[in-house]
Amino acid sequence: MGEGNSILELSFQMGEVLLRNGAEISRVQETMERVARAYHVEHFDVYVLTNAVFAVGVEQGKERSVELRHVPSTTTHLGRICAVNQLSREIAQGEHTVEEAFQILQKVREIPYSSLPLATFACGVGSACFSYLFGGDGFDALTAFFCGLVLELFLYWVGKHNMSKFLTNLSASALVTLCGALLLMAGLGHNMDMIIIGSIIRLVPGVALTTSIRDFFHGDYLSGAIRMLDAVLVGGCIAMGVGVVVKVLSLLMGGALL
Amino acid sequence: MIDLPLLLNWAFQTAVAFVSTIAFAIIFHTPRREYLFCGITGGLGWLGYLICMHLGTGVVAASFFATVALAWASRSFSFLRKTPVTVFLITGIFPLVPGAGIYYTGYHFFMSDNTQGLLKGLETFKIAVAIALGIGIVLSLPPFFFTLRRSSKSGSGQTKS
Repeated sequence: MGEGNSILELSFQMGEVLLRNGAEISRVQETMERVARAYHVEHFDVYVLTNAVFAVGVEQGKERSVELRHVPSTTTHLGRICAVNQLSREIAQGEHTVEEAFQILQKVREIPYSSLPLATFACGVGSACFSYLFGGDGFDALTAFFCGLVLELFLYWVGKHNMSKFLTNLSASALVTLCGALLLMAGLGHNMDMIIIGSIIRLVPGVALTTSIRDFFHGDYLSGAIRMLDAVLVGGCIAMGVGVVVKVLSLLMGGALL
Repeated sequence: MIDLPLLLNWAFQTAVAFVSTIAFAIIFHTPRREYLFCGITGGLGWLGYLICMHLGTGVVAASFFATVALAWASRSFSFLRKTPVTVFLITGIFPLVPGAGIYYTGYHFFMSDNTQGLLKGLETFKIAVAIALGIGIVLSLPPFFFTLRRSSKSGSGQTKS
């Protein structure tokens, strides 16, 4: 069996896809172990962190392989997590050979992202809905809808230019606040706070928070702490971005907006 | 205390939460066949929040109970649909995540209203902890809480055959 398609490599790559798309640590670990067990690897140990996978395995009695890979955090793609989960379930039932599993995994990796127009529209709708849920009226929701559109387009543009996470969140929340304030001054919308709350919901670290909690409760304290720190810092960045713009606008306008 | 207009308002808000959760399902690239269930999860969470707020529990307790309801739904759906819990949990949690708290904290701090800023910051933190507890407790429960109905069904089927 070649280096490219050993069982360990399969298990490793599945773990990597899971981690890359935002799965929690225990899922990555369990999936990798399940795959190794399904193909009767004699000895398999794996340790997973938020941004790295370490695995050691003994395959066919003699081949000992050690792998270590750095996995930078990227966007959440729940579809791929579902697909890998399905694949690991099928592997555990003995439905696939290793080669077949590799082919399926390759297809999983190619599951596309939601298209930009759809994602933009979704972000707009999401912002509008949250603006309404937090107590805004119809006009606030409409304003938040436009802010949401701008935000998603901005995030897409930033995503192509590799801006750091801090700067992304800082600038995105500032942009959204500015956008909301301008629309408010133009006469659309009534409550500044409802508009902004609705619009920044796309940036709020809900995924990091949830995943960090799950890691903590599974005993993966280190990974949980990494993600919790991430959530806190991103939340801080958003608050800063919003605050700076509100402050500057209030200085320019000579009074508080709210 | 609970009259028709209030119920209609709740129904409408739940529907809005349903739609917004699906919007987030799209943003996080959830498979299309799970949209409906994500939406139901998010709607349930928000409905729980509304009911708690109506009963006067305060934001933090309301977030906790809403998260419990939401996590419960997530786990049930995850068994029903054979899909990772994460899918429903991440998309459904968004209505409860303290976005408003983050906004008000930033706003008050930068407007030099430190007392209000600290209060809001503390409240945001408390909500985050409440959500954490809610998720943690429900996800740590043994699986039979969520599969009871299904397993009893299959059990009776087995005894018949």
